Amino acid sequence: MSDKLASIALNVNGKRHEVEVRPHDSLADILREKLGLTGTKIICNEGHCGACTVLIDGVPVLSCLTLAIECEGKEILTIEGLCDPQTGELHPIQQAFVDHSGMQCGSCTPGMILAAKALLDENPHPTAEDVREALAGNICRCGNYNSITRSVLAAAEIIAGRTHNG
Amino acid sequence: MVDRLSVVGKRFPRTDAIAKAKGEAAFVPDIQLPGMLHAKTLRSPYPHAKIVKIDTQKAEALPGVMAVLTFKNVPKVHPRNKMEFLLNETVRYCGDEVAMVAAETREIAEEALAFIDVEYEVLPAVFDAEDAMQPEAPLLYPELESNIIRKSPGCDPQGWIGLTIGDIDKGFAEAEYIVEGVYETPIQATVSPMPRATVCQWSGNKLTCWADTMVPMAIWHDIARCLDIPQSDVRLIVPNPVGSYGRKEPEKTPILTAILAKRTGRPVKTAFTREEDFLISWRRVNFKAYSKAGLKKDGTVTTLSHKVIANCGADAQSPLLVMATSLAKSFAILYRAEHVKSEGCGVFTNTTHHGAVLGFGDSEGNFCMERLMDEAAETVGMDPVEFRMKNCVRYGDACYDRLQLILGKDPRRGIVGPDIDMPQVIIKAADSAGWREKWHGWTTPVEIRGSTRRGIGFAMGMHHCFYKEFSAEVKMNHDGTASVLTGSVDHGQGCYTIIAQVVAETLGLRYEDVNVSSPDSPSMPAGFGNAGSSGTSSAVNAAKYAADDARRKLLEIAAQALGCNPDELDIQERKIFLRSNPVRCITIAQACQKGLQVTGLGLLPSPDSLRDEKSGELLNALAIAAVVAEVEVDTDTGELTIIKLSSANDCGRAINPTMTENQIDLGIVLGNGWIRSESFIIDKSTGVLLNPNLLDYKVMTHLDIPEKENTSVTIVENPTTWGPYGAKGFSETAMVAVAPAIANAIYNAIGVRMRGTQVTPDAILEALGK
Repeated sequence: MSDKLASIALNVNGKRHEVEVRPHDSLADILREKLGLTGTKIICNEGHCGACTVLIDGVPVLSCLTLAIECEGKEILTIEGLCDPQTGELHPIQQAFVDHSGMQCGSCTPGMILAAKALLDENPHPTAEDVREALAGNICRCGNYNSITRSVLAAAEIIAGRTHNG
Repeated sequence: MVDRLSVVGKRFPRTDAIAKAKGEAAFVPDIQLPGMLHAKTLRSPYPHAKIVKIDTQKAEALPGVMAVLTFKNVPKVHPRNKMEFLLNETVRYCGDEVAMVAAETREIAEEALAFIDVEYEVLPAVFDAEDAMQPEAPLLYPELESNIIRKSPGCDPQGWIGLTIGDIDKGFAEAEYIVEGVYETPIQATVSPMPRATVCQWSGNKLTCWADTMVPMAIWHDIARCLDIPQSDVRLIVPNPVGSYGRKEPEKTPILTAILAKRTGRPVKTAFTREEDFLISWRRVNFKAYSKAGLKKDGTVTTLSHKVIANCGADAQSPLLVMATSLAKSFAILYRAEHVKSEGCGVFTNTTHHGAVLGFGDSEGNFCMERLMDEAAETVGMDPVEFRMKNCVRYGDACYDRLQLILGKDPRRGIVGPDIDMPQVIIKAADSAGWREKWHGWTTPVEIRGSTRRGIGFAMGMHHCFYKEFSAEVKMNHDGTASVLTGSVDHGQGCYTIIAQVVAETLGLRYEDVNVSSPDSPSMPAGFGNAGSSGTSSAVNAAKYAADDARRKLLEIAAQALGCNPDELDIQERKIFLRSNPVRCITIAQACQKGLQVTGLGLLPSPDSLRDEKSGELLNALAIAAVVAEVEVDTDTGELTIIKLSSANDCGRAINPTMTENQIDLGIVLGNGWIRSESFIIDKSTGVLLNPNLLDYKVMTHLDIPEKENTSVTIVENPTTWGPYGAKGFSETAMVAVAPAIANAIYNAIGVRMRGTQVTPDAILEALGK
């Protein structure tokens, strides 16, 4: 593996970061270790569990299998960028996970919430089946799936209410 | 007081919910320190070998490598409960630790492993427990002269521990029916979500260690003991442990990491990969039980005998305890048989280490027991639910203690308490499943459609919920809020949420007024930690005692201020007031300021102080559950679908029903995965674990679990006399009846008994002779 460093700019959560990366560095490692964004969790580091999910240009990707060097010029959203930047208010999906106990140990939670965001951006009125399908790649060892589904459906209602009201 | 609870029983969000939802909850793998080195482990490619030569010079010469550890240069000490040393000259399973390297980067450390020259003398290996018991079997520990674990006084010369009630020979001679079978249970990897990690840093002769554990005190003691330094020189911080499911007992990694940090003078992080976590995962012990039951024609179970062999792997955290748990509970207490003999032995094999996993011993024992009992019910022609109602454990029945069994003492210990109402739990599960409408008799499935057959099955179960050594402190702050110090962890089960609710309720505070701090050893009160479903029974209980103590002190201060007796006062809504004249009051904040430092200390009374009010007998901390599974089996493909899973669980009192439901869901999902999809595949010729990843080791996903609408969770609340507001631990008990209920439902569907380890499609097709 080459240790040659390349200087790239990453757009993460609306901020531009100049960062030096090696060709083989994963996006997950760069986010966590270079940018200190440890909200992106690594459970398997081989693309099997969904914990490291981030959104790149709105699309959910496994950041442990994504090379950081390929992400230049793209909009990366991590869990740290989900709260309202002005008020710091939780995103409705985060709020729904809090209210409906969508987590137990919390290690799958950031990836789960971002995968849910990708779903709701595309399908604002999902059925429970849609939620289960969309989150099938995100493993929760605490077996909290039913509460997670309930949280995502509740988030959809909150978002729909906001859109409807204004 | 119990009548007007304002915080207990409410569905508050968990204390750490916002931090977790924002990704701000930092786990040990998230810790980075300036100048931190990374450690990697060289692992044995052989299941059994002696290291004849090990040369680390080339690895040490690699730029960036700072230290290499082998058995030659680490202290010869045994980590807690282990046969092995920290690093060993003999490796005993594929993946066993050979050497550790600390280097500037993970990549350099990884690369350096290849530069360690190791010459192995490959030794014969054995993977199956019964093979390992044969006289000609290769010995894992030749000094023990046997692979059968005989290290406790309770073991007979051959290594068996056993419990005898009555006379089984008489029982079987007089029995009108005899049912017998051989039942096996599968291995299960714990798969704690985040592979285990440790960070160690020295400052002079003082060590700071960040560890991911569920038993902080034990790991703290063990680090100090193995490094031969005073406990006061070890600061153990447990930031945010992630789901343990039994796994996070003390282990040697923090000790080895501390040695690397000492030798290099730099902070060191050891973070395992997912594959390594499978290898060191302290998987679930697997049982093979030779079981037999004697019955009367009327369905009374008179006699039970079980002979259990447990494959404990190459080393085991508590091999005899896991065995004794089932011998004393699932096999001896759950049914009221007059004659019982349950015996077991633990056996070393060249497979990964056994350790605690959810339902420790009773998940395994009950999976055997409740399949046998289903066969017994069929033999006498009784409805399986009625059969359990007739034979199940009841208040006042004798109890047996696993520790006394191991120590070779009389295992009889007190009775089943008045909080145990098994018939009620059975009925709740059966009713919520619609048992009466769906059960059509022994040879009749619920429904047949083409190749698909639907069946229904029942199981009950019992597990301990430890009431043991624990303390806690409630430190009152001058603004009237409370900080709780505890030796327990919140690894997702919600322990801190429950502590906060109980402390707030006791002190007349609001939920948000209470903050629970995770363990940091200088300020950590002693406590056993979170194992054996001890959280509510012990940790929360100790916090309740601490809150009671703080309350007493606050009332004394207020009484002085208000010129009255403390017993004339009440405490509610952040105020202390005269019961007869509530306007005469001071705020809790004022009382805290007046007292300068008001701290409540809670010390859990001895377990021997728990007595039954009626009989004066000792009480035991036990929890019970019952599960009805309704399944569909496609007899062409072997595919199994859970149609409905109805679980009734008694938790004494649901301090927070949401947390209760979440933990019952965990038991349901882990119980399903254990027998349906999580195959731990060890190659029988090489001993290599073939599927150490989350693609091939299939834990349940969103699409595999019974959906919400197909799961019925009934919380039963028969309060204990000894728990906080009557509550007790129940989380592990939520798992113990799941697997046998599914297996029994499959029998009802296809008419073939599933006595083997798993009920995968392959196993079902094999059972069907396809």
